[in-house]
Amino acid sequence: MTDSTAVPDKGTDDQGILTGVEQLSPEKIERIINEVLSSETGAKLKVYVDTCVSCGLCSEGCHFYLSRDKDPKFSPAAKVKQTMWEIMRKKGKVSPEFIKKAAVVAYTQCNLCKRCAMYCPFGLDIAYVLSVMRRICHRLGVVPLYIQDTAHSHSVTGNQMWVKDDEWVDTLMWQEEEARDEVPNLRIPLDVEGADTFYSVIGPEPKFRAQLIYQAAMIMTAAGEDWTMPSTPGWDNSDMCMFTGDYEMMERLKKMHFEAATRLKAKRIVMGECGHAFRSVYDMGNRALGWKMPPIPIVHAIEYYHELFSQDKIKIKKKFDRPVTLHDPCNIVRGRGLHEMARSVVNSTCKTFIEMTPNREHNYCCGAGGGVINCGPPFKNARVESTKIKAEQLFAAKAKGAEVVIAPCHNCHGGLEDVIHHYGVDMELKFLGDIIYEIMEIPE
Amino acid sequence: MYDIYAIITGPLAWLSFAVFLGGSLYRFISLYQLARKKDGAVFQYMNLAYALRSIAHWLTPFGARNMRLNPVMTVVTFSFHIALFIAPLFVFAHVVLLEESFGIHWITLSDRVADILSMVVVFSCIFFFARRIMRPEVKYLTTWVDIVILIIVAAPFATGVWVFHQWAGFPTMTLVHILSGELMLAIIPFTKLFHMFLFPFTRGYIGSEFGGVRMAKDW
Amino acid sequence: MNTTVRQLILLILISAGVLLPSFSFSDDCTNIDEATFTEKRRPFVCFIHDEHNEKAGLEEDCALCHHTYEEGKLVADESSEDMACSECHAKENDPKQFELTATYHQRCRGCHLEKKEGPITCGACHKKAK
Repeated sequence: MTDSTAVPDKGTDDQGILTGVEQLSPEKIERIINEVLSSETGAKLKVYVDTCVSCGLCSEGCHFYLSRDKDPKFSPAAKVKQTMWEIMRKKGKVSPEFIKKAAVVAYTQCNLCKRCAMYCPFGLDIAYVLSVMRRICHRLGVVPLYIQDTAHSHSVTGNQMWVKDDEWVDTLMWQEEEARDEVPNLRIPLDVEGADTFYSVIGPEPKFRAQLIYQAAMIMTAAGEDWTMPSTPGWDNSDMCMFTGDYEMMERLKKMHFEAATRLKAKRIVMGECGHAFRSVYDMGNRALGWKMPPIPIVHAIEYYHELFSQDKIKIKKKFDRPVTLHDPCNIVRGRGLHEMARSVVNSTCKTFIEMTPNREHNYCCGAGGGVINCGPPFKNARVESTKIKAEQLFAAKAKGAEVVIAPCHNCHGGLEDVIHHYGVDMELKFLGDIIYEIMEIPE
Repeated sequence: MYDIYAIITGPLAWLSFAVFLGGSLYRFISLYQLARKKDGAVFQYMNLAYALRSIAHWLTPFGARNMRLNPVMTVVTFSFHIALFIAPLFVFAHVVLLEESFGIHWITLSDRVADILSMVVVFSCIFFFARRIMRPEVKYLTTWVDIVILIIVAAPFATGVWVFHQWAGFPTMTLVHILSGELMLAIIPFTKLFHMFLFPFTRGYIGSEFGGVRMAKDW
Repeated sequence: MNTTVRQLILLILISAGVLLPSFSFSDDCTNIDEATFTEKRRPFVCFIHDEHNEKAGLEEDCALCHHTYEEGKLVADESSEDMACSECHAKENDPKQFELTATYHQRCRGCHLEKKEGPITCGACHKKAK
């Protein structure tokens, strides 16, 4: 509870934003805004902005608003009012000070979780409108420092975490070696042409959570999967450029990823338990590259686990016996409807499953997604404060007996870790893969 | 009085119809052309079945979670929109005018029902106004334009009730009634009231995205 | 309405007109064609014939309202005081008599607008009982 002091709403001390704003002039702002609006947006943005009757019904959809004691500034429409409404009304004639505030709103006060689209009677996609605001900020060079650093890493290395090419291969070999203590013949097959499954992960896995690669290798081996991982850039499916508004880099990243899989002639891409990466390959990145649907089948970890259990490809020793609850990540639930599959996997692996409410499409966000957690320490306190409603939801599940929270998404893990710590929820956080690894029969 | 009456029931009436139809058509065509040019993806993802699925849920009272969370608003907003359409189209006095001008007529509401529906519209507008100034999240979003639009929408119905009951000064109110009705019609294409035409498209598109790509509900 | 029936009714009405002493107008309301409107939607218009015509200077110009048409053409100098408006302008099986109503409205309001005299709004004629 050390980080619980409220940060006053006055301005930001983020150096990325401050330095960026210093270099702005009203002329530059107007020029860039109108470039973005005229070349990259059209009827969709216009209709979204014109149709809003400002009824305020979207408020109920937003965890920021609900967590911040219904502070009207945090309702979804209010965030549009503070950003794109003003910009479109003034045709780009806004001040550097305005851009500074708008950047804070767009990057750190919205997780782009699209829950509000389900609460707006018109189905206006407010996350899209705020993405346009982020795009403008990116073009103006006003991006929070920490997330811009990950975007730089993407540009330089092709992955989010400054992992060098040899470090990547080295990490895989290290995990392979560790796993061989348990299963002597286990391999993490690199660059196998024509494998059924191309397995990709996000940059933070080799950097901080290498055991997840270990677990994935275990599960793939137990399931007898014909799989491979690439030794070259393209192994990272994550994408912070999508969230900073650097769509050119987003395209390059997705191209690298899809091409790594097609170069190996893989039949499909299976990806780890990550939400934003899924959004990037299934929703935004593929579209930016001109693919209506991904050019090669994309299978999220939940879908893959579901396949393992429904086809009996994996044996378990006994079910996980501590009561669990399940967090529905926005990008794979509102993004791909995997909530029922997730429940099916939980029921196949855990003895007692306790629902959080509201759940499925209506679940509250972890507060970390949309690149918000990646904006780093300058915004951490504000972010955690904006997840009070999530903490209440967790406490309610805990009161019903849940001890473990399953969050099948990296960002959600980061967010929920902070929620659990800050509000003293005292629950254990796990990936589905953690549970499967824990209970499965280890192959010979 | 006679000249004003002649103008507002003659040229102004035609003008308001023309502005309403022409303006709506113009906005539709320009938005469609812009969408064709800039939002090609929208046409790719638009899916009739999922669009209708979403529209059906959102046109059913309490068909979406948010409607259940705001029951009073749901009841008021549904009654308001239904009354807003039914009353002017089927009130006896309007149908008689239709017969006079175009020689056509259709079913009419009983006076009592028409009276109640009009009052529903007026009281709904009062409710919306109260909501706009009392609920912080709505107040924050509200601009003077919203209030003016609310008044313009309420005016033809309030004056309609007035004229029907022949309260004091009703002959003048009749003129205000006609004029405010024309004003409401004419501003539709150029204000947020255009949502009446855009609703099926915005709802339909998010319904298509959620149904076809995201495989999730959107209600 | 078929022609035979129409002619029959016409005959009866003409006989009635001949047989009865000529219409006696007074200060009382003339509830024009009241029986035709089986479903009344508005307070009946109180039309005081003599008073109206005196005010409007129509004593000599009966045919303005009591006109006669033959084969779709107005017959000048011929009037039709002996006929009810509904005889020509009413429609069968329409309890609300939309066509007849429209005819009255156009006749009354049209003239009032032209002369800039007399009531033009709905309630000014269809007065509610106080």
